[in-house]
Amino acid sequence: MSVPVSSSPLPPSPGDSSPARPSAVTPRVLARSRASRQRRATRVKLWLGAGCTLVVVVPILLAGLLPLPGPNEQDLAQRRLPPLSGGHLFGTDQLGRDLLSRVLHGGQVSLAIGVLAVVVSGVIGVLAGAAAGYFGGGVDAVVCRLLEAQLSLPLLMMLLLVVALFGPSVPVITLVIAVAQWPELARLTRSLVLVEREKPYIAAARVLGLRRGVILARHVLPNVARPASLVVLLLVAQAVLLESALSYLGAGPQRPFATWGRIISDGQDYITTSWWLITLPGLVIVLLVVGVNLLGDALREATRRGRKADA
Amino acid sequence: MTRFGSGAVLDRRSLLRAGLAAGAGAALAPLAACAGPVGAATPGSLTLGLNRSLVSLDNKLNQFDAALTVQRAVRQALTRIGPDMSATPVLAERFEQTAPTQWRVRLREGARYSDGSPVTVADVATALRMYAQVNGSFVVNLFPELPSVTPLGERDFLLETARPVPILDLLMANILITPAAANRPEELSGGLGSGPYVVSAGNGGTGEYTLERNPRYWGTPPPVRTVRVRFVPEESSRVVAIRGGELDVIDSITPDSAEQLVGLPGVAIERVPGTRINQLFFNFRKPQGHPLADARVRQALSLAIDGPALLNDVLVGSASQAEGVVPLALVGAVRTGTYTHDPAEARARLDALGVRDLTLTIIWESGEFPADASVMEAVVEMLRAVGVGARLQQFEPGGDILRWRQGRGGDWDVLGNGYPGPTGQAITSLLGMYGGTPDKERTRDTYQGYVVPEIADQLAVAAAETDAARRAEVLTAAQRAIWASWPCLWAFVPNVVLARRTRVRGLALQPINSYDLAAVRVEEQP
Repeated sequence: MSVPVSSSPLPPSPGDSSPARPSAVTPRVLARSRASRQRRATRVKLWLGAGCTLVVVVPILLAGLLPLPGPNEQDLAQRRLPPLSGGHLFGTDQLGRDLLSRVLHGGQVSLAIGVLAVVVSGVIGVLAGAAAGYFGGGVDAVVCRLLEAQLSLPLLMMLLLVVALFGPSVPVITLVIAVAQWPELARLTRSLVLVEREKPYIAAARVLGLRRGVILARHVLPNVARPASLVVLLLVAQAVLLESALSYLGAGPQRPFATWGRIISDGQDYITTSWWLITLPGLVIVLLVVGVNLLGDALREATRRGRKADA
Repeated sequence: MTRFGSGAVLDRRSLLRAGLAAGAGAALAPLAACAGPVGAATPGSLTLGLNRSLVSLDNKLNQFDAALTVQRAVRQALTRIGPDMSATPVLAERFEQTAPTQWRVRLREGARYSDGSPVTVADVATALRMYAQVNGSFVVNLFPELPSVTPLGERDFLLETARPVPILDLLMANILITPAAANRPEELSGGLGSGPYVVSAGNGGTGEYTLERNPRYWGTPPPVRTVRVRFVPEESSRVVAIRGGELDVIDSITPDSAEQLVGLPGVAIERVPGTRINQLFFNFRKPQGHPLADARVRQALSLAIDGPALLNDVLVGSASQAEGVVPLALVGAVRTGTYTHDPAEARARLDALGVRDLTLTIIWESGEFPADASVMEAVVEMLRAVGVGARLQQFEPGGDILRWRQGRGGDWDVLGNGYPGPTGQAITSLLGMYGGTPDKERTRDTYQGYVVPEIADQLAVAAAETDAARRAEVLTAAQRAIWASWPCLWAFVPNVVLARRTRVRGLALQPINSYDLAAVRVEEQP
């Protein structure tokens, strides 16, 4: 029985003219192996995630250029038109405003808040986590206790309280979400730095007389930045969801600013007669969050495999 | 032999997984019940879903229409407003005017509180004293002056005022009587009263109460044994709850919700013309020189508002545009004018008055009137169409709006507000809104700073006038003067709309958006 060679055969030895060594590991078997299935799943996740994310993000970024009515432009005579009628792809809302336009412009607000919040929380989290992991001792204790204290608080209640105290403006909401998200990144950065600081090149840098702050900034941080940045991507989805939740609960930017949470909150009064008012914005949020999560997952897995291969 | 690939083999791991999945399924199956309608009606009980939180069962500071229905089921007044807007005795057996400034009252024999103690003259005197001590009280503002109590006997007393108050019997329907020893100037958290129900459980924070039939009630016992009151702020949740039978009555619903409920089996809609006026009221605390301090600017701005579009498309025909400064259904109200929509004229007048780059801050509390947010967002666009910017600031219930209204929280230009007609008389609403004096303004007890001494004087004269014809004449002149001062950007009078399960009978909804809870009965369904 002839058995096909494996996909990566050993180079034939010089002078060996015999056919490749028979093996039970067929390409079919290899394709069904766990590693191959994981690789394929990662690829599917990557494409699916990128597709879902782009389907939402690209129109949001181009909302100002698309031939759509303004998000607050009303036509009271055309209220609650169903999708694909009267020239409105997503239909109109209870004030005759184009729902697609509101969803896209609302997405700009939600995404802007999400990205800004993640940038701020990223800076806070990476710096605090790196300092805790590298310096240890008192710094570590302070950062860790702060993390634990914040993680023990109910997140949404805390956000609502802060927004109630300082008013529901975009900067306040951004800052509040940023502060809410820093613990996750700080914990990850700390654990990465703990591993990194024990490596020989750090010891070498110390022997060479570099100061601890310089070692951290020039040698440790660049090496932990990549895995940390992948978590940041996942936090964007979480930030968008938090912003929508705040708007839904009435703690978002003031009207008539369109935000995803408010569009859904307003639309729920018409749930039995105008399904599209909450279904379509909800679908857009689901697409974005699922897309970003799949993308982040896939990139993280790809990076992990890449590191294993390098090792 | 080593086996490659992952064929469908029933190994130990798959068995464990299958077992785990089956276990999780069995454990979570009861949760599926959450997806369906919950809280089917309890026999002999009635559940009300209010759109605003009933912070207490005392009306000193917490006076909105639906709340009164519940508050009056626990505490009672000497009188109540009847279906024909006249005063009907409750705790009073007799309430008669014996002189222009004097009323003789006799307490009902046998009237007693839920603890068995009798209602006394001292309780009435204390109640009036406690209401008088409340800062910014809506109820006290209804009175031209609070009467003094002169006891004549165990059950008889005189109510006396310095000037005549011809509608004192109607006004006293708003003073709920509590035993003197238990009364406080603050809102009362307890529920000791003489009404047909007693409070068996209550939480002012969540606005939820359970009322039980008062076993010592002095009158006819109410047909319903238990009344549950719930605060359900989301209209969609209230609609879903009444559809599923979880709630029996929901009030103050929007036309869109009514549309969803019409024709559903087991649900009926009640509508009556209302005595409440909903206004976009200008801030009258603006300094001289501010554009809004000029009545001509206020009038020009009102031309920007497309009232018919708001009525037909946002309020879906459930309201009518105000044609006076109070609803025409109130006794003594007159037609004073109409709001017209002419954006070109609005811009031209603003230009002529030198008003450019005006931006208004519009504030309101969620749930102040049905479809409030939609009305406000529509108004912003209408103002934008005439070149006037507008910024919206929405307050959630329980927020800071009272401080803002008094000018202590921040600056604003237009307030979305509803004003009820609690006595059915125009004079009460007019005094409450437009009877402000410099003295009252010092404590910020005027209606958004509206202080026009000539109008306040006219209203005071009308309130004290015992001759009906003369009173109507003065009242008409005052209403015309108020209209000419353009206090509102726009105003409308909503119909009172309420939805009930058909098992709920005997619910006589009144124009004052209230009903007698003691008359409501529940029919048990087979």
